[in-house]
Amino acid sequence: MKEPYEYPFDPPSEDSVAMRDGAVEGRVAGSPDAYDAGESARWSPKAIADVHAMAQLGRYQLRGYNTFNRRMPGFDDLVFVPATMTRLPLEGYRESCETGTVLGDRPGLVSEPLRLDIPIYVASMSFGALSANAKAALGYGASKVGSMTCTGEGGMLEDEREASTTLVYQMTPSRYMLDLEHLRMADAIELAVGQGAKPGTGGVLLGMKVSERVARMRSLPVGVDQRSTVRHPDFLGADDLQVKIEELREATGYRVPVFLKMGATRPRYDVAIAAKAGADVIVLDGAEGGTGASPEILLDHTGIPTVSAIRAAREALDECGMSGEVSLVASGGIRSGTDAAKCLALGADAVMIGTAALMALGCNAPRHLKDYEALGTSPGRCHHCHTGLCPVGVTTQEPHLEARLDVPGAAERVARFLTAMTMEITLLAKACGKSSVHNLEVEDLRALSLEASAFTGVRLAGIDRPFTW
Amino acid sequence: MSRPAAANRIEVVAADRPVREVNEELRAAVADGREVVVRDTRSRHNLGVGLPAAARVRFEGSVGYYCGGLNDGARIEIERNAGWGVGEAMAEGEIVVGGYAGMAAGASMRGGVLHIRGDAGPRCGVAMKGGDIIVEGRIGYLSGFMAHAGRLIALGGAGEACADSLWGGEVWLAGPAESLGVDARIEEPEAEEVAAVEALLAGRGLGDSTRDWRKVVSEQRLWHFESRDAKAWLMI
Repeated sequence: MKEPYEYPFDPPSEDSVAMRDGAVEGRVAGSPDAYDAGESARWSPKAIADVHAMAQLGRYQLRGYNTFNRRMPGFDDLVFVPATMTRLPLEGYRESCETGTVLGDRPGLVSEPLRLDIPIYVASMSFGALSANAKAALGYGASKVGSMTCTGEGGMLEDEREASTTLVYQMTPSRYMLDLEHLRMADAIELAVGQGAKPGTGGVLLGMKVSERVARMRSLPVGVDQRSTVRHPDFLGADDLQVKIEELREATGYRVPVFLKMGATRPRYDVAIAAKAGADVIVLDGAEGGTGASPEILLDHTGIPTVSAIRAAREALDECGMSGEVSLVASGGIRSGTDAAKCLALGADAVMIGTAALMALGCNAPRHLKDYEALGTSPGRCHHCHTGLCPVGVTTQEPHLEARLDVPGAAERVARFLTAMTMEITLLAKACGKSSVHNLEVEDLRALSLEASAFTGVRLAGIDRPFTW
Repeated sequence: MSRPAAANRIEVVAADRPVREVNEELRAAVADGREVVVRDTRSRHNLGVGLPAAARVRFEGSVGYYCGGLNDGARIEIERNAGWGVGEAMAEGEIVVGGYAGMAAGASMRGGVLHIRGDAGPRCGVAMKGGDIIVEGRIGYLSGFMAHAGRLIALGGAGEACADSLWGGEVWLAGPAESLGVDARIEEPEAEEVAAVEALLAGRGLGDSTRDWRKVVSEQRLWHFESRDAKAWLMI
């Protein structure tokens, strides 16, 4: 038997081994803030707080804004590869680049397709989720730059119809205030079968926002927690949808395009079916899409990222011979002209911005700090649209808060933001040698990660091959 | 394809012609102040969609989906059966179905009267926001689902989950319901309310003072989440 090793000095005391000299009482001295940091990957402080909240409330958590899922791959995983030796760039500061965008151009079915000056428009967000001032400001701002807005599910607000030269009228399953005259006043009709933030589940508008005006437009009791249906009342599958689309054409004299908005889940199949059912424009809303209120788990754990959905959708349209006939609009998490340009390159004909447009209105701006504080948040991280207590008047029905949104100023910011976004798109397009933003193509992109390449089929940077199995 | 019938009446033949053409002819005749009879309807979809207040139209035979959809005041008569969504989103006017109606009759309608002489399929009056639906027969399962306002009156009773998740509105039953839906409860109707319903029925030749009415309304438990305290929504 081997003799135990002995130090050439006296054995240490336990206090010395435990580094107790000067340590916090009762703590292992080597990791003074391990408990606060939450070192467990599984039991993060947030996961623990979620359990505590559910255990107190007895229900799921609900909030506004968009996904907090950090693993969502995004537009930043792609870069443009501008013209160098194989292609010739256009003069970025001087030469022109076409930005005009036509949606729903189907001769015989649509006599008045939408003609926008830019490939960006403002997403469907309801009056109810948004204040009337916010809706009006979005409308005026979009009108100034030849873009358009969409009513969202709460019916057509007079303020918005007046403000928006081009307005899409949305029909959700709940059909709030569905009115023939409004249908005929619209420049396009959108049937919503889902949204990126919570595909497969209907809208939510908590009682704090169901004001008298909102309730009247939606035929609801004032102050109820409105949770809308997700299935349309009078059609179920694609065959019925086809008949429904024909009904809408009949009601509007084959004048305006019919959009179909869906959350991105199985775009390769869903988009093909929607095109076959007769939609003129398909709006594909990725999982990063925002919302006024939603069960949080749906925001964080349902749907697929926008960046991964567009390519599949375009391929589906190509495969069924519908590209060029049916337009594709991408949305969900688009923050800038750069993101928008990547969507166009991946195959979208236009993009839709929601949250970004709200930011332009002043969402999360550092004003009225005390009101952010009262919500337990601060500018830059506010996601409290669901409470109706928006400190800057965007997502509220409280008159004193709504008054903080100055319509002319906000409209001008929206107009300038859309202009700046468009400039970003043309800057990138010209660097890639394109005289029209619609000429951006997948070849103009490279992927920075295996994941992005695998999701999109975009070639990996440098090696110039798409990741394949 | 159309020929004058009586002095102010015109006949339009549906048959296998494009529905767009049939409806265009129908609308032109209506604009002309004519009453219209549509013959050989062949259960075609989308007949008589979005008609104006002055329209008087009779469909001879059965019709397909969304007949009289988005009706804006027209008086429409369907001789036999109607497919899904008859009179959906009607704002005002009157639609009479001589036979049976398929799923979602009067879906999200906001006004007017939809009168079905036979039975109605499931989800009759789903999401309705006003007006009256009268069904002489029985209404199918989930009828009145998430209705907001208006009256859904069924003389022959109702299938399963009647009046499920109502926001508001009333379902009036003169016959048995297989089961009530979530958050629905039966309320004893006031004499004046009964009188109003009976007057509506009498006006349509359906008067009968011996009926045993049950009025189904919202229990209002689904109007709110369990937590009614707005502060609870700030926990996230």
